Amino acid sequence: MKKLLLSAGFALASFFGLTNVANAEGLTLDGPPKVAMIYISPTNDGGWTQAFDEARLRLEEELGIKIQYVESVPESASAIRPAVERFIKRGTNIVIGTAFGYSDTFKSLSEDYPDVAFLNGSGTTNGPNLLSFYGRTYESQYLCGMAAGAASETGKLGFVAANPFGPVNWTINAYAMGAREMNPDATVSVVYTGAWNDPTKERSATKALIDQGADVIGQHVDTPTPQLVAQENGVLGTGHHRDFREFAPEATICSSVWVWDRFLKTELEKIIAGNWVPEPHGALLSMQEGGTDIACCGKNIDKQEEAKIMAARDELLKGELEVYAGPVVDLDGNVRAAEGEVLPDGALWQMDWFVDGVITQQ
Amino acid sequence: MDLITSWIGNIPEFAVPFALAALGLIITEKSGVLALGAEGLMLVGAVIGVGAALTVDNTAVALAIAMIAASVVSLLFALMVLVMRINQVISGLVLVFFCQGLTTLTGTLMGWTNQPVSGLGAIALWPLSELPYVGRFFIQNVVVYLVPVIFVVAVWALNRTTPGLRLRAVGENPQAADAAGISVLGYRLAAIMIGAALIGLAGAFIAVLSNKLWISNMTAGRGWIAVALVIFARWSPWKALAGALLFGCIEALIPQLAASGIKLPQYFVFMAPYAITLGVMIWVAASKRDSSSQPGALGTPFIREERT
Repeated sequence: MKKLLLSAGFALASFFGLTNVANAEGLTLDGPPKVAMIYISPTNDGGWTQAFDEARLRLEEELGIKIQYVESVPESASAIRPAVERFIKRGTNIVIGTAFGYSDTFKSLSEDYPDVAFLNGSGTTNGPNLLSFYGRTYESQYLCGMAAGAASETGKLGFVAANPFGPVNWTINAYAMGAREMNPDATVSVVYTGAWNDPTKERSATKALIDQGADVIGQHVDTPTPQLVAQENGVLGTGHHRDFREFAPEATICSSVWVWDRFLKTELEKIIAGNWVPEPHGALLSMQEGGTDIACCGKNIDKQEEAKIMAARDELLKGELEVYAGPVVDLDGNVRAAEGEVLPDGALWQMDWFVDGVITQQ
Repeated sequence: MDLITSWIGNIPEFAVPFALAALGLIITEKSGVLALGAEGLMLVGAVIGVGAALTVDNTAVALAIAMIAASVVSLLFALMVLVMRINQVISGLVLVFFCQGLTTLTGTLMGWTNQPVSGLGAIALWPLSELPYVGRFFIQNVVVYLVPVIFVVAVWALNRTTPGLRLRAVGENPQAADAAGISVLGYRLAAIMIGAALIGLAGAFIAVLSNKLWISNMTAGRGWIAVALVIFARWSPWKALAGALLFGCIEALIPQLAASGIKLPQYFVFMAPYAITLGVMIWVAASKRDSSSQPGALGTPFIREERT
């Protein structure tokens, strides 16, 4: 039986036109590839999980495989373990998680099931058969910042952010740098809500920013609320996760979107081919590697400005542009990256400083 | 725009759900039933309110349906605490967890998540709306203006009408009320359902009128703050309204400070509402002036002919 499964797996692999010579170091799947995704929220959450689900549908089409999923698995071991183990018992050998809070459980699962490949979006743990991945969201948000800088008439931009830590702060700084690329006097006022999913706080934050004169509202929170409020008040905004023109077609001029399928496709192909060796420190994906992209451009951005934004996007997609290339100087005048250097990943994750043009609390 | 104008204009958005949920809890608890399920019933009001608004496209009808839905779900709580006499703390907690799952499932299956609804337009109360600083407090949707009316009616009903006095009698001394021929379980059932309707309206306010969309678990713990408010207010509706306004002021001020670039330590700002809650609770506990205001039979199941 096992042989039959194996040969079926090879047949499937060769069907994709892949080499099926198992690399000595790479993970070799036990049985034909069977993929399952574990979602933290419902598939129609309008943001993070929905982006994963859209990637799943594209992957099914491109790879010609069926990908199973389970929704709303909370970030606790007692919930994650049974969900994952049920899939594994039914022959699943590639498990894709979607949450920071899955990190520890995925680590222990990957040790218990060494023949199963584990991937985890926004996770922090890694191993011989576990790879955590996240996007360099500062690249796409830099482009959204350019759009915001171009579209703003007052030069005052607002930004609604979740929690003050590295991966949020790096989008804020990039947003300001992008905005200043188009308007050297642009400023970005930031309000942190302290929550990823609290539309009431996001609404009052957005209103406060608009009342203070901001006419483009950027965001790094999970709901489309800032875009809805921007539209209600006749100002503009930039979205995060997905193309928020779906919710606020008048207001949203640019969105940072997840394109996980671009990354997962190559990873799945490697796993199926048997030459997958996870990066020991996880994969932090640039736009070139898949991960993020933008949906652009809406109102108030003329052809010339759009061309400039798209040129920057092309450079990022080709890997020719570094957002955090030196000199990077913070508000206190400290040089964070010197001329000719690029800010290292460690400094990105720890970012607790802001660049010129950002107005925020400490 | 001026920081103060913007701040004061945003207070009702936060204060109204606290006020309505706290009033609903007070009505239920005056009958002697300890109600901890506000968070869950608010979610029911929120998801059904949005669902109804998407289906019938009439906000007033949607709010009414949300109130009825919360009342219907509260029957489950009534069954647990009145008929089966299960511990009221446990029943309240179970209700919250049940509603969290139920509302997420409903919103997902029906496709109501992230679907914007129209809400209600703002009405300016001229000439109050022209006042400096506080003007925007008087440009709100009609439900905000109804809150004081609802409070006046509730306080009048509780203190000045026969059913209200009987309801309080049931909460103070159910045995005596029973001996006087009052249906204890009937009054408690009514108190649970009326309270749930107001809590459901609080949830619907957040979803249908304030945010104009449904997102899973969007009440974000505000039902628990309402529970704390009731204790803080010593079961007095007017004090609960004042407490709701105080919390509304704090929550509305936080984003204003950040948006206007006033430098404060970020984590201190996040902590402020909870630190103030804690401080107020300690102050209330220490002052103990009217601890008798807690309904005498709060949390005790009624068993007829049992001596207490």
